[in-house]
Amino acid sequence: MILELSNPEPLDCAGVEVRFGSLKAVNGANLQVAAGEIVAILGRSGSGKTTLLRAIAGFERVAAGEIRIGGRVVESTSVSVPAHKRSVGLVFQDYALFPNRTVAANIAYGLPRGSAARVTELLRRGELEGLGGRYPHQLSGGQQQRVAVLRSLAPHPRILLLDEPFSNLDAALRLAMREELVTILRAEGMTAVLVTHDRTDAMAAADRIAVMDAGRVIETATPLNLYMRPSSKESATYAADAQFFPGVANGDTAETPLGTVRLSMPLRGGCEVLIRPEWIGVKGLGVPATVVRRRFEGAHARLVLSVPGIPEFVAVVPSWMAAEANDSFEIGVNVAVPAFATAG
Amino acid sequence: MNWAALRPARKAPAALWLPGLLAVALTFIPVFYLALRSTEDGWSPWSRAFHTSVPQLLQRSLWLAAVVALFCVAVAVPAAWLTTRADIPARRVWSVLLTVPLAIPSYITALAVVAFLGPKGMLQGWLEPLGVDRLPEVYGFWGAAFTLTCAGYPYVYLVVRAALASADTAEEEASRSLGVSPLRTFFAITLPGLVPALAAGILLSVLYTLSDFGAVSLLNYSTFTRDIFIEYQSSFDRTGAAVLGAILGLVTLLILTSELGVRSWLARGRKRRQAAVRLVPLGRWGVLALAFLSIAVSLALVLPVGVLIYWLINGLRANADFPALAPAVRHSVEMALAGAAITVALAFPVAILSARYGGLLARAAEQAAYVTHALPGLVVALALVFFGIRYATGLYQTVWMLLLAYVILFVPNALSALRGTLVRQPANLEDAAASLGKGPLMAIATVTAPLARPGLAAAFALVFLTIMKELPATLILSPPGYQTLPGLVWSRSTDALYAGAALPALALIAVAAIPVGLLAWKGDIGALES
Amino acid sequence: MHRLRILSLTTAAAALAVMAAACGGDDDDGGSITVYSGRSEALVAPIIEDFTEETGIKVNVKYAGTDAAAALLLEEGGKSPADVFFSQDGGALGAVREAGLLATLPGSITGLVPEQYRASDGSWVGISGRSRVVVYNPGLINASDLPASYKDLTSAKWKGKVGWAPANASFQAFITAVRKVDGEDAAKAWLEAMAKNDAKTYANNNAIVSAVASGEISLGVVNHYYLWGLIKDQGEINAKNHYLAAGDPGALVNVAGAAVLKSAPNKSGAEKFVEYLLQKHAQEFFAQETFEYPLANGIATDPRIKPLAELKPPAIDLSDLDDLAGTLALLRSTGVLK
Repeated sequence: MILELSNPEPLDCAGVEVRFGSLKAVNGANLQVAAGEIVAILGRSGSGKTTLLRAIAGFERVAAGEIRIGGRVVESTSVSVPAHKRSVGLVFQDYALFPNRTVAANIAYGLPRGSAARVTELLRRGELEGLGGRYPHQLSGGQQQRVAVLRSLAPHPRILLLDEPFSNLDAALRLAMREELVTILRAEGMTAVLVTHDRTDAMAAADRIAVMDAGRVIETATPLNLYMRPSSKESATYAADAQFFPGVANGDTAETPLGTVRLSMPLRGGCEVLIRPEWIGVKGLGVPATVVRRRFEGAHARLVLSVPGIPEFVAVVPSWMAAEANDSFEIGVNVAVPAFATAG
Repeated sequence: MNWAALRPARKAPAALWLPGLLAVALTFIPVFYLALRSTEDGWSPWSRAFHTSVPQLLQRSLWLAAVVALFCVAVAVPAAWLTTRADIPARRVWSVLLTVPLAIPSYITALAVVAFLGPKGMLQGWLEPLGVDRLPEVYGFWGAAFTLTCAGYPYVYLVVRAALASADTAEEEASRSLGVSPLRTFFAITLPGLVPALAAGILLSVLYTLSDFGAVSLLNYSTFTRDIFIEYQSSFDRTGAAVLGAILGLVTLLILTSELGVRSWLARGRKRRQAAVRLVPLGRWGVLALAFLSIAVSLALVLPVGVLIYWLINGLRANADFPALAPAVRHSVEMALAGAAITVALAFPVAILSARYGGLLARAAEQAAYVTHALPGLVVALALVFFGIRYATGLYQTVWMLLLAYVILFVPNALSALRGTLVRQPANLEDAAASLGKGPLMAIATVTAPLARPGLAAAFALVFLTIMKELPATLILSPPGYQTLPGLVWSRSTDALYAGAALPALALIAVAAIPVGLLAWKGDIGALES
Repeated sequence: MHRLRILSLTTAAAALAVMAAACGGDDDDGGSITVYSGRSEALVAPIIEDFTEETGIKVNVKYAGTDAAAALLLEEGGKSPADVFFSQDGGALGAVREAGLLATLPGSITGLVPEQYRASDGSWVGISGRSRVVVYNPGLINASDLPASYKDLTSAKWKGKVGWAPANASFQAFITAVRKVDGEDAAKAWLEAMAKNDAKTYANNNAIVSAVASGEISLGVVNHYYLWGLIKDQGEINAKNHYLAAGDPGALVNVAGAAVLKSAPNKSGAEKFVEYLLQKHAQEFFAQETFEYPLANGIATDPRIKPLAELKPPAIDLSDLDDLAGTLALLRSTGVLK
């Protein structure tokens, strides 16, 4: 082990409510995170995800519900352990590095005096050797992010919270940093909660994803389940692009405008079937469709297709595939797909 | 009113609200005193005041304050724009020259204005060969307005300059890219963006005018403050003076409340500049710009200092009697250093309270401080005499009493400079410190305070120079035998010993100008934005 | 960090210096007295030095305006640390006496001063006298045209040419005298006529004398010694004093005076000081330095100045000039004091 093992603890938020005046920014949110687990809170802006994170960190008071860390209540209407006594690390969206302190001094900030060895070790771990004497503004965005994470990890927090950790990075750096962050978190065995609006970040980094909407957690699932078997139409839209087709389910299969499809969960009666654009196979699958437009996207191409009787829809195909407007194909679905019973 | 917003999200540590409470308590000393004195004869002095002098005084004071504010804006906005955005030569030097008049007390400017611009003043003497027999009357409203503008415009200049130096220029660039001329862009985009800074600057200038005694008395224009002095001087009528003082305090409170409302309404969505500014080339307008700046500096700085030097040289020639300068300089500098240090030390926690925690105490502290700020120094001094002789006999007639008066009078100066700095500091740095296990005080000591250093320095400089200039409280509260520079200037000039007054006056200006001149040179006066 | 440290060091040094100043003991053998002086330092300090040298009594002086010093005494009440009040005018002494704060001076001191220049109850004595005069610019006015009485100043020929200082204590004492001698209505009528005659308002007597000398105005109502002070400061100037007719309120002779506080911690030292002010040495000093009229010991004033004995002031008890509130109200109601 490169770093000393930290002491990961479980986190439990039950019925948490945070109010700003009359606005309920968080409205009865539930979230369980096991010790050593990485959970992503995925939501649009304004869904209350950052506010929930700040309540866990100790920067917002709750109006109802409670937050436990390691089984002990740290926040409720009657209890509020001050932020600095929670041993909860927080990585800020803009990193909040102290501009008046060097990189080494930033990392050492939460450590007792005489922790130079740990600072050196962390700098090495973050591949920041030789940069300890620089000031934050002299670093690149990726380096700043690493300093922010290392600074939070330095005092061995019980939980690490990350607020939109990748939003300030460009696409190439983002991927690398995601990998690096996960490696560091796994190596430290941290309990971590990261807040993001980016589904790819959430999918790639987290053990489980908590989908947040209008101040509530509407679903918690593994990334694969959220993608393949979302529990509701709402959460289906969070994991990837979603399009729904009308259908009639007969147990393991359903009849749809795109032909008979296998269902991932048995259902009977009228339903809406989730068929993501990348689930549609083209050529020789039985349902005739016409290409309306083709949009080249590099690795993929996006085809807007039309089938008589339903609105136009999208299929994602490899970009090398020859397809022009007005070409016709026979399309179909090869994947077991989820269906949701039509209300009424 | 959103009461939930008043409740602080976090409990402020005692180390912050205790100084806050102390600041409120201190600033309430003059308030209690005025309440006590103004009601000791029942309500008849109040009704008498309202039936005789008050309506007229109110009108005269507010009219003067309004016109001075307008003049100050008219001088300060172009000056600030030219010294931050235009390609005039020696921008830094102009910045310093435009700021340094802060160090000149209004009574000295007024003496110089009378001597120079009087109907038969020095200027008339120069124009005599051209057949100018006498200049128009300098006394009265316009003379007072002119003098107070000369002495007071730097307050507005500093605030506007700071706002311009930090404002986001993207909107201006957008306007220019849409084909709008620089001048129209200034009026359509830049000026509206300056409104919050202007509101703050106008408030400072209004408070300055309302509490000024030197200029209005030497130029013969009655305001509340002058009449309060006259009450004491002519009839030793403490009650009458206290009634006027209380009314002045209430008027100030009213102005403050409306100003705070305007400011919070205007403060929405301000951004900070990211990129460096490209200076606007003035071309042939440059000459006009330099002429404008030269006139401003000539009137506010060269005129008073020039007259003082003229008196000094005349006195040297005539072998006039000069006062010993050393003890007065030492006392004034000591008092100004100690007073500024204590004031800033007290204002800093209050500013943190107000910028980070909000809540009623912080608001009370801020507002109470501003109200006492508009009271004449004489009233604050007498309030301290009243309390000192009863409850702090040990401190009475010692320099501590004087320091206390300075703190009460000048906490608002420090507050406005510090609050601006703190509001512009990213608050999440303190959250970051907390998430790393540091308590609030530790976070302030290790993060907030070091980052607020420019603001602390600016507040210190501002209070330092204001104490150097302060006259009425200094006269009343300094221990017997304690010579100060303003005291010397005052005593010599009342005896018409102008040569003897010029020497301490020049020393006063020189010392008071040092810190603020340094700040202006370094550009750190940006921290004065409120 | 570095600058912060310098700042805090300077501050600490300043605080120490202040403490030293605050705690510095000054108890010498002869004891000490505290004087609140409404007279400025230039006119008092030399005499105080001589007094300390002669008696060994150390004097702590607080220089403030007479008005501020009086307000301070009234606010301090019986707990004032002051021993002596040295006032620029009789009105302030009257106000402090009214508040019951003045001790009665021993006859050995009051006896040094002619009766009309001290309080009838012995609570204060005049130290030096000053006469109201009309100061004029001889380049603009022939001596033969000068007014005989203050009443003549309302004449049309002086329209816009007379300077006055309504906010000034000595002017207000003069108006009080007018009210006593000629009555309330006459005072009111005169003020209104003067305002109508476009009298020019100045902040103080010095400003009036300067304005007369420069030709800004032709004449002004002031105390006699401002002219001589200005001449001393600036050399010969274009102005002269003119004394009004015998008994005219405009020829009022008022005083600068001194009193001992009832609460004086060092009463005997205080009395010694007041007595010293009436001794030959101090009286000569006032005559030479301030061009006022010495009131004790038969000392003559500067030979260029019309002697006290030749003045013919109105017959008024100076203690009767204490209705300043009434004068102030009159000045306000007539709009003279705005």
